[in-house]
Amino acid sequence: MRIAGTATLHAPVEAVYAALQDPRVLVRTIPGCERLEQLGEDAYAMTVTAGVASVRGTYAGDVRLTDHQAPNAFRLRANGSGTPGTVAADVTVNLSPGDNGTTVITYDADAVVGGMIGGVGQRLLTTVAKRTAGEFFGAVEEVLTSGGVAAAEGEAGALLPGGADEVGAADRAGAGGAGPRVYSAPAHPRAAFPGGDFAAGVAFGAAAALLGALVGGYLARRASRSS
Amino acid sequence: MSEPLHETRLVVNGVPRTVAVPARRLLSDCLRHDLGLTGTHVGCEHGVCGACTVLVDGRPMRSCLLFAVGVDGAEITTVEGCRSPGGGLGPVQQAFQDCHGLQCGFCTPGFVTTITAWLRDHPDPSEEQARQAIGGNLCRCTGYQNIVASVLRAAELLRNQEEAAR
Amino acid sequence: MTTRTVGEPIARREDPRLVTGEGRYLDDLGGGALAAAFVRSPHAAARVVDVDVSGALEVEGLVAVYTYEDLEGPMAEPLPLLIPHPSLHAGRTAYPLANGVVRHVGEPVAMVVARDRYLAEDACERIAVTYEPLRPVVGLDAAVAAERTVHDDVPDNVAAHMVQEHGDARGAVAAAPHRLKLDFTVERSASMPLEGRGVYARWDAADRSLRVYSSTQTSTSVRFALAARLGVPVDRVEVVAPDVGGGFGVKIMHPWPEEVLVAWAAIRLGQEVKWTEDRREHFVASAHERGQRHHVSVGFDDEGRLLGLAVEFVHDNGAYTPYGIIVPIITATQLLGPYKPGAYRAEFRSLYTNTVIVTPYRGAGRPQAAFVMERTLDAIAAYLGRGRAEVRETNFIQPHEMPYDHHLTFQDGRPLIYDSGDYPATLDKVKKLVGWDEFGAFRAEAHRDGRRVGIGLACYVEGTGVGPYEGAHVRVETNGTVVVATGLTTQGQGHETAFAQVAAETLGVPVERVTVVTGDTRRFKYAVGTFASRAAVMSGNAVALAAGKVRAKALRIAAEALEADPDDLEVAGGTVRVKGAPDREIALETVAVLANPLRYAFDEQTKLATQFAVGRGVDAPPVADDDEPGLEATDWYSPVRSTFANGAHAVVVETDPETAEVRILRYCVVHDCGRLINPRIVEGQVHGGVAQGVGGALYERMVYDENGQLLNASFMDFLMPYASEVPKVETGHLETLSPLNPLGIKGAGEAGTIPAAAALAAAISDAEGLFVDTMPISPSELWALRERHARKEDR
Repeated sequence: MRIAGTATLHAPVEAVYAALQDPRVLVRTIPGCERLEQLGEDAYAMTVTAGVASVRGTYAGDVRLTDHQAPNAFRLRANGSGTPGTVAADVTVNLSPGDNGTTVITYDADAVVGGMIGGVGQRLLTTVAKRTAGEFFGAVEEVLTSGGVAAAEGEAGALLPGGADEVGAADRAGAGGAGPRVYSAPAHPRAAFPGGDFAAGVAFGAAAALLGALVGGYLARRASRSS
Repeated sequence: MSEPLHETRLVVNGVPRTVAVPARRLLSDCLRHDLGLTGTHVGCEHGVCGACTVLVDGRPMRSCLLFAVGVDGAEITTVEGCRSPGGGLGPVQQAFQDCHGLQCGFCTPGFVTTITAWLRDHPDPSEEQARQAIGGNLCRCTGYQNIVASVLRAAELLRNQEEAAR
Repeated sequence: MTTRTVGEPIARREDPRLVTGEGRYLDDLGGGALAAAFVRSPHAAARVVDVDVSGALEVEGLVAVYTYEDLEGPMAEPLPLLIPHPSLHAGRTAYPLANGVVRHVGEPVAMVVARDRYLAEDACERIAVTYEPLRPVVGLDAAVAAERTVHDDVPDNVAAHMVQEHGDARGAVAAAPHRLKLDFTVERSASMPLEGRGVYARWDAADRSLRVYSSTQTSTSVRFALAARLGVPVDRVEVVAPDVGGGFGVKIMHPWPEEVLVAWAAIRLGQEVKWTEDRREHFVASAHERGQRHHVSVGFDDEGRLLGLAVEFVHDNGAYTPYGIIVPIITATQLLGPYKPGAYRAEFRSLYTNTVIVTPYRGAGRPQAAFVMERTLDAIAAYLGRGRAEVRETNFIQPHEMPYDHHLTFQDGRPLIYDSGDYPATLDKVKKLVGWDEFGAFRAEAHRDGRRVGIGLACYVEGTGVGPYEGAHVRVETNGTVVVATGLTTQGQGHETAFAQVAAETLGVPVERVTVVTGDTRRFKYAVGTFASRAAVMSGNAVALAAGKVRAKALRIAAEALEADPDDLEVAGGTVRVKGAPDREIALETVAVLANPLRYAFDEQTKLATQFAVGRGVDAPPVADDDEPGLEATDWYSPVRSTFANGAHAVVVETDPETAEVRILRYCVVHDCGRLINPRIVEGQVHGGVAQGVGGALYERMVYDENGQLLNASFMDFLMPYASEVPKVETGHLETLSPLNPLGIKGAGEAGTIPAAAALAAAISDAEGLFVDTMPISPSELWALRERHARKEDR
């Protein structure tokens, strides 16, 4: 199935482009994403938990970013499989400057969905996909406009005392080249946010990079409101 | 968005049952699906056909027009509870078989409960009275003639039972 | 000594479980299944612009939402056109889910699957469909005028145009001494069984097999349809009709969109899915019947003998024609009734309207036909000043003229030839039953009391036992029980009893030992279905033939065991005996054991069998070339033509001078359906048919407004008779055996419905001194008719 759409972010093109390539951003903003593990240049193994309505579960898969034409275009391919089914997605992403220093993102995704989750009906899938794509971009914008990754990491640390050290340690370990880098989403209570779960929607492997439900971003916003 | 459940106690056919149901759960659906008593049938869900009739504290009522929570604490008799104490056919049920008072059987449970209650107050009815007794239940198969006969036969069986008991 | 059960009014075997609430109807099954519900069009005609499902996501327990875009392959094609016909030149069927267009209120647009029905309906409510409403075509006038069309590619809204004729009817009418032109209107009604439709599907992924329960009148045909639509091999699909709470024709239509979609969803989701419709859905999404308008030209002589009869009518088939044009074909051919029409011509157009589809309802076109013919004969009688009974007698086909060939083609594609029947005797009997000749005195007395009473009568012929065939399988088990299976279905006709009676009597076993299964493709795969009053004729005979084969085999085996001649043996009470030598006997169950050469004995019975030393010796195989193991047989009954039952109704009514309410004082039925298997069951069928006939004559109609909205889509406003509206029926029987089948049976299922409206209209007309030409007629319509008549504005 085809899913296409646009989003406008209040940040310059270069910043948005960089954010979309940055695993530290992705791990926080992809809906239901729990971890990204670097496999190579622009390639990650990913674990995502998400669902459509009653069809929920955890996917394991990989994401590859290719065809870079910085800062205006790149391609993302993802595969994931899990108890709810399988997803394969091929997404073309274009960025262009909008008015007043904004960035207009257009994405065009070709996705093949199988298994149980493929059985829920096309309109549910596309509806959830589009809705959560919008929420994903909202999360990315949040990260960008609230000071970038470092600030986000700082906030995540504010959520749970142990969190910051884990994340920081992983990065520092990675920087030392002592093994594959692993990026974890900030630990957060998996309470049943009704909106959260449905916002989690359908995650299709790397299509989830664009189509995720908003957990981290939502929490980031919540955290920023409460702090 | 999940509905709160309400603990509801019913005594159904003499057996105390407790269910946790949403407020909007119809008594007909509660009996059929939560309590597994599928003898009560749903023909219209708007209270006209009478197939869903059960006895609530002895009075015939349309279970499709009642909420289960609304009859919390009541004693319910369904068609399954109209058997004889020994487990065989009760007199009204036996009468229906004797008189060919049913064809597809879908409306029958509503007639059985309605007539069971009615005969308590009218032990010796005329044919005219018997026809009026069933005037609020729809049957699409029988043309009612044999159901009227069933009412009279049930009255007869009940009278025989009483005499035998004396 | 044989066990006589055929012809006995024995109590029904199915009753004990049904009266105690232990029946298993569709919604009683599938407790753990997911529930399906449908978003249906609220417009009679519209384009579907968008389906926004986002609201449904808020409903916890939602599993899936499907629209047309989710369908692929055969599922994405229009549903089948079941009965094609050369005259159906513009047949159209619907897609399982609307493909951009909806053509009647109630057409399914989206299917929701959720954890239970309440949640599924919640989700349906939250799905926002954007429609572009179009102006619909409602009613025959609008359809004929064709200012707008129901289907873009059918510019005149005509789906079918058919003419059947024998002789030059128009010429005969023109040349006749007397002529009349008459118009009749029959309104839409519907079967309206107390149990609606339902489907419950189970996909076994390990086995790759599908089992579907459906509240249907034809499980075997649903099986073929599902296999084709879903791409599952036929031998991996089984369809079971459970206990069914009434059908009356509406459940012969198949496959419903819901039938294919629920099964499809079960496969797609790998979970059980169930759907049962609610009453409103049944009103707007199942099927209706009956709406027709007739124009009659009839020519006759001084005695009222028909010389030429030309009938033109229009038939409203609703938005689609999945069942073809069977109903108007039946109207056109059964209009002749028991009469010789001289030259006959029937022409009809079947038209599309933006309303629910039209498929058979008890009578299936015959009530309309009987209404037209019987009212016409009454008009002729009035015109000539002759008796209404005499005019009919003048026109009857006489018994010695049987078989009578009308030179037309019937609904089974075969010649319309009446096989047997004594119409004068039937009329005579009903006249005596109602006191026809003495009515004048009763009328005079009533008149003195200021009461208006009237008497009417109507005769009919009913083609029953239509083919192509039915079959039955009969097996005697090693414990002495007899298991009978036939493929057609049951909706209250007592088949478990009637077919047991046939098997029991044929085999010579007590009827209590016989169990009957119907409508289960796991047990019997080749069948047509239950409709057209055919079950007793078709399966009754098939059971008799199969049981006969079993009996013959039993006698052959018993003869070897008893060292006797098969002709010297008889079977009674489940035991085979040598006639006149009561100590030389063998139980049927033992014969069953012997019928299956065993290597291993598994119980006392099989050990016992060995003492008879039955065998063919060592030179021949234990199972001969032309034989099979087991005391069982399958046989088929396939008739060369339909067999024709007949009857007459006579009715006495009273009309209120002020309120125009109609009260039925007496209702008499005489009918001839050949041999009766169970007279009580047949009588019950007559009673029920009369009730629906009374409903159709006085109460039942579907009311659409100009926007195609069904205004009375509930039992509050669609009036069906209660006990207070249905009279006590007095019945008389005649038995003219059918020469076309071994048991001599003719069908009886629709007998009560067919002439009822005609008889009641006749009685009302007689009471009022005016002419009723519409069906149904309500008190307010009768009142208006009175006014018009008083002003001499009617004919």
